Amino acid sequence: MNFYIPLFILIPFIGFVISLIPNNHQEKWIYRTVFMTLITHFLLLTFLCVNGIFQDDFNLFFEGPALYKTNTSNFSFHLYFDVQTGFFAWITDFILILVSTFSKTYLHREKGFKRFFNNMLFFFLGLSIIEFSGNFETLFAGWEIIGIASFLLVAFYKDRYLPAKNAMKLFSAYRIADISMLLGIWLSHHYFKKSLNFQELKFLEINYLGGEHDIYILAIPFLFLLAALVKSAQYPFSSMLPRAMEGPTTSSAIFYGSLSVHMGVFLLLRTFPLWENHFVFKVVVVCFGVVTSLLGTLIARVQSSVKTQIAYSSISQIGIIFIEVALGFHTLALFHFAGNAFLRTYQLLVSPAVLSYLIHDQFFHFIKPNNLIKENLWGRMNMTIFLLSIKEFNMDTNMYQYLWKPLKILGGKLKFFQTGKALILCSLYLAAGFYFIFIKKYYEEAWLHQFSFIGGLLSLGLILSAFESRISAENAWWQIIFSQFLLGQAIALNEQFEIAQLLLFLSGIVFAAFLGFLVLKRLTYKGESILLHKFHGHSYVRPRLSVAFLIACLGLSGFPITPTFIGEDLILGHLHENQIGLTLLISLILILDGLAIYRIYARLFLGPHEGAYHETAYRSS
Amino acid sequence: MKKNFEFDLNHVLHELKHYLPSQTPLKDFIHHNSLHAFQHHEFFEGIFKASTIFGYKVTLSLNEYRKLYKLGRIRTEILTKTIVDKYGEINFSDWLDKVLNKSYDFEVSTRIGQFRKTWQNFYQIDLDNKVQPLLFRIIGSYLDQGIALWHFPFEDKGLINAVKILEEKSFSSFFKTERAKKLLLDPSLNISKLLKILVDKESLFQEYIFDQQFSHRGWSGIVGAIEDNPNSILYPKSITLKDFITLELLLEIDALTSEYGENWQPLGQLFNKEPADLFAPVANTELQQVLILWQMAFEWSYYDEVFAGLLSLQKQKKAIQKVENTENEAFTSFIGIFCIDERECSIRRHLEFVQPHCETMGCPGFFGVEFYFHPANGKFYEKLCPAPVTPKYLIKEIDSKGVRGHELLFNKKANTIFRGFLITLSLGFWAAIQMVLDILRPKMSSAISDAFAHMNLSSTLQIEASSPVEFENNLQVGFTIKEMADRVENLLRGIGLYQNFPLLVYAVAHGSSSANNPHHGAHDCGACSGRPGSVNSRVFAFMANHKEVRKILVERGLTIPETTQFVGALHDTASDEMAFYDLEILTPANKLNHEANVFNFENALDLNAKERSRRFASIETQKYIKHVRKSIQKRSVSYFEPRPELGHGTNALCFVGHRHLTKGLFLDRRAFMNSYDYRSDPKGDLLLGVMKPLPIVCGGINLEYYFSRVDNYKMGAGTKLPHNVMGLIGVANSSDGDLRPGLPLQMIEVHDPVRLMLIVEHYPEIVLKTIQSSPEYYEWFKNGWVLITVIHPESNQLFTFKNDQFHLYTPLLKVVKESTDVHELIDLATEMKTNEIYHATQEHIPVHILN
Repeated sequence: MNFYIPLFILIPFIGFVISLIPNNHQEKWIYRTVFMTLITHFLLLTFLCVNGIFQDDFNLFFEGPALYKTNTSNFSFHLYFDVQTGFFAWITDFILILVSTFSKTYLHREKGFKRFFNNMLFFFLGLSIIEFSGNFETLFAGWEIIGIASFLLVAFYKDRYLPAKNAMKLFSAYRIADISMLLGIWLSHHYFKKSLNFQELKFLEINYLGGEHDIYILAIPFLFLLAALVKSAQYPFSSMLPRAMEGPTTSSAIFYGSLSVHMGVFLLLRTFPLWENHFVFKVVVVCFGVVTSLLGTLIARVQSSVKTQIAYSSISQIGIIFIEVALGFHTLALFHFAGNAFLRTYQLLVSPAVLSYLIHDQFFHFIKPNNLIKENLWGRMNMTIFLLSIKEFNMDTNMYQYLWKPLKILGGKLKFFQTGKALILCSLYLAAGFYFIFIKKYYEEAWLHQFSFIGGLLSLGLILSAFESRISAENAWWQIIFSQFLLGQAIALNEQFEIAQLLLFLSGIVFAAFLGFLVLKRLTYKGESILLHKFHGHSYVRPRLSVAFLIACLGLSGFPITPTFIGEDLILGHLHENQIGLTLLISLILILDGLAIYRIYARLFLGPHEGAYHETAYRSS
Repeated sequence: MKKNFEFDLNHVLHELKHYLPSQTPLKDFIHHNSLHAFQHHEFFEGIFKASTIFGYKVTLSLNEYRKLYKLGRIRTEILTKTIVDKYGEINFSDWLDKVLNKSYDFEVSTRIGQFRKTWQNFYQIDLDNKVQPLLFRIIGSYLDQGIALWHFPFEDKGLINAVKILEEKSFSSFFKTERAKKLLLDPSLNISKLLKILVDKESLFQEYIFDQQFSHRGWSGIVGAIEDNPNSILYPKSITLKDFITLELLLEIDALTSEYGENWQPLGQLFNKEPADLFAPVANTELQQVLILWQMAFEWSYYDEVFAGLLSLQKQKKAIQKVENTENEAFTSFIGIFCIDERECSIRRHLEFVQPHCETMGCPGFFGVEFYFHPANGKFYEKLCPAPVTPKYLIKEIDSKGVRGHELLFNKKANTIFRGFLITLSLGFWAAIQMVLDILRPKMSSAISDAFAHMNLSSTLQIEASSPVEFENNLQVGFTIKEMADRVENLLRGIGLYQNFPLLVYAVAHGSSSANNPHHGAHDCGACSGRPGSVNSRVFAFMANHKEVRKILVERGLTIPETTQFVGALHDTASDEMAFYDLEILTPANKLNHEANVFNFENALDLNAKERSRRFASIETQKYIKHVRKSIQKRSVSYFEPRPELGHGTNALCFVGHRHLTKGLFLDRRAFMNSYDYRSDPKGDLLLGVMKPLPIVCGGINLEYYFSRVDNYKMGAGTKLPHNVMGLIGVANSSDGDLRPGLPLQMIEVHDPVRLMLIVEHYPEIVLKTIQSSPEYYEWFKNGWVLITVIHPESNQLFTFKNDQFHLYTPLLKVVKESTDVHELIDLATEMKTNEIYHATQEHIPVHILN
């Protein structure tokens, strides 16, 4: 039986690749590919589940090839199937089959018909990887895929401003989740001295009673919790969910109504053994659940837009599911997930019908509500809650105010890094650094650490400045590349390690950097502006360059299709768990580099395209 | 704009409302000219002015026209004639080269928004981003009609007052700074004072306000529209554009202050800007001239074909008449009076085909009876007549047997925390089953807008006024005998039905059923304020059947035989189904007759469904006809179908004349058809009454489709798929987006943006007198927003209207296509290439004479 499991990843992958072949007009072709992919997956899964029920054996395991293996780290592709996988995957497949059939007609004649279904299969691939993953590394790959698929689907109507803006908003939050998870994985490597797989995790005895690593054993679940909170749009990340509903109704239904948004629950369930004995942590999870479900329901109550209302209602129920998971009611949590997923999908799919339904209802049953809010304390509390709910408890503005704005201001101050001098300085630093790598043994370790830390700071400076750059994209692109090199070098200097690992990390970057560079040159050659001060929407006239640049971005940001991804993971393995400063520095760089890279993509290729005589959307639409 | 740039708030508000979109909340959809504010200009002058000021795209793009030319949709001889007519033989080759080959710089700069944009140059601040999300949320929940579970506190006090109370009494604030809050609570709060802080110079105030309000024309437009028509929403809200602007200005001050402290400089002080007049005359560009030539050539390529068809049809008919002169007065089996709607054009043709002895006629779908309708148990009235008319009558539904069920899954309580918990764990699983059912077996439910549910089939209406006459809310309940007789006479004489009455006359209204469609009102009858016309047809039939009414009519020289009976009916243009009302009053003989006619109607509906199906990729037109009909019916109840029907897409013509004029001409559902008999009205006394509503109803539809088609982003609503219903009053694209007035992409994608050509059968001098009857009415034609041509009833010559006169027109097209079989035409139609959406649908079929 174990043999079957890789099929659950292979089928979506093959389906995705096939779906890239037809052109946009071959709607039937595209849909059939999607349907066959889903139905095969679904039937096979049902068979496996039925088999599991009868044999009473739900634990299947598949150990894939090790992608990279050293004595300290083992990066391998592990798959795992248990009741949780079966349940989640079955509901995923069921909803996707329904929604894709719905979308076949709904999206008929849409310009992005093919793009939609490509994305949907890509998303399906990501979901399957998460659901069937056997270890955190594999799960992380799926996690990233979902992030990119979400980004692309939010920006589905890329010729408008708001989708472009909100896609970046979603992506920024997701990037925090990704890096937090990566750190969690890194810490768990250190703590357990190996890559954990989920089968072992279940039988793991975790001792919380002291020892030198106690801080880490607390940090690991917290990092995973942070990832889960973002993905499930829990407090304080809730406000991004309604804003992500920019794509066609059907994509909002599957991503933000039902499936993607429940992946936080999945992660929480998966990591449960890590914290099941940890009382404080449980309290924290319950608190987040309570706060989210209360705020969610309050905000939903005052919403005048139907999709936003559904989004907040869904978030509120997920808050309750978080509580259920923390309290150990896992079967209830699973059923609650299923019910919530079905209900929200349905509500979103028929959300346009609400207009005629409610107007009709109003026509026959309207009673003008009386407006007596007393001006006593209770009334004033009511008003306060109403006002705060309208403002979504400032979640959206706070996120910007306290997280991104300081970074932007800092980036704006670091204009020096945009100059040629800075790049020369960095090149010199890089050259010196590589020299030191080869003759490392002659120097004191402490001195090298300092040297690498300064390299890290330079890297951060570059990336911060690129993140807020308003001048040429080419300049920012160079900054990012330099920053990545400095990062690699900083880690290489930090510890004894194999050059091959560094090469693995850099190989992907070099290729992506080169491709991106070509695209930028091509754009300039065609006379297009590549200034980063606004959205240009070049994909309107240059769709192919847009795809090429997207691939370059994926490569540069360490997306799991490139060697950079494994390199990134390996490189983290070389950080010592006691180097908090360097670790934070590197995580910040990793978060920002993703943002800076996709910002360039968004600014150049998304948003309204102006210039030719064709319709352009209003900024506010 | 006042020339001295003095700021007069009331004047500015008035001007603003004039230019903002005037679409009212979506529950009633009334088509209107999207650029009505420019209607006092000549058409091209007006649209290009709008384009320069507001940045709208007002014609197809140059490439689109050139492609149409390559495809033969714009004919060479027409293009030649258009250029020669305008620029003379001498300049012909010069202009032809410009039209066909020259490349132009398309750089568009709009006047609106330029001034306010400069904030960003001086301060690195994106005011729209800072202000709009919260502003939209506040106004959205303030106007909300019933999505939210909590309504806005103190909403009856006006927006600013309600916000004031909240700011005063609550422990939180919409604003980030004390300054904005203080300004709000200051008793001397007014717009000028706020503008003084933001802009400083009074001469720039008006421009600033325009820039600001047009940065979200959707919300501003709806605020203005609700202020002017408070009855357009059911849940009354007290709102003014003034309050809305005040709130926005406060939020802007707040954003700037929170960013830069108290001491930022007003925009007017930052640089030396000359006050500018947004509406100053605009310069003509060569590109515009080229586009005008193209647009005219495009329009006339079609009109010319129609005119050629009309003339050769008349010639053929004359020839036939000479041969078959013996069979003069043919027996008429029944008459169907349909709405003038161009979607009824095909069913009339099919009905005449399946029953050659029947006759069909057209009149605006409210059948000349204007009233408010009060459904049983309803809490409100519905207006059932053209939008500009204000009725004085009320028709009440006395009993209604049908009660609409509730949909469990639409329960708003699913959005609360505790009940939501129970509902997700119980109904959540039902949702899964419901989803499967909705996808596999779509069927009518109470969440779908059903044209037939507007009035229950078997309910009773109170149509005749009691004596003494009763009044309810200043409306007369029912019509008196004389009022009925007036209306019946008016309608019958107007459409030229005054003799040769058959046994049965059907008044067929129309409506449209569709699922998951916030724009469903746009598919219903335009002459009934965007609602199904079933009540009107019933009321009309009742009146015409009334014995006392007939007595009066006899006195007035209009004799309806006693055996003749009128039947009200409703045609669902989406599902192609029909219902007949009050059949129990039929005499036994007529009952039999009716049953035979139902058979004919059914066959015609089958054929109509088949004809419509050619535009739908999901239906194979060649399939067995009953299957096609079934698929058509299914579309109207499918949640996943964004195109239950294509609405008024492709409309281009409007006929006023006898059916002889068009019978036998295949017009591909592009013509509004109003029956009118010039013989019964030689002096044109009735003509004005007949023609009066046409520009506003048909022209409004046509122009709304025109502008939504040429600029679907700015004047249309964009694609339907991401639409999010806001407060039950409109749709927006995302949670932070502006409202999107206009028509969605799915309704306009097959539409050819051509102006409406009104074709009247009468003497040119009579028609000229008629259209010149009032200046506002004449404006439509004089400025070319609606075109008009007269077909001379005796000489069969065509006269087109230009420069205040009718001129003889001879079609350039010599040979009109002929066909013996409509269905062959339909089956052979090719894929549409002219729309930018490839694989869209089948192409328009040229005018054919059917033999």
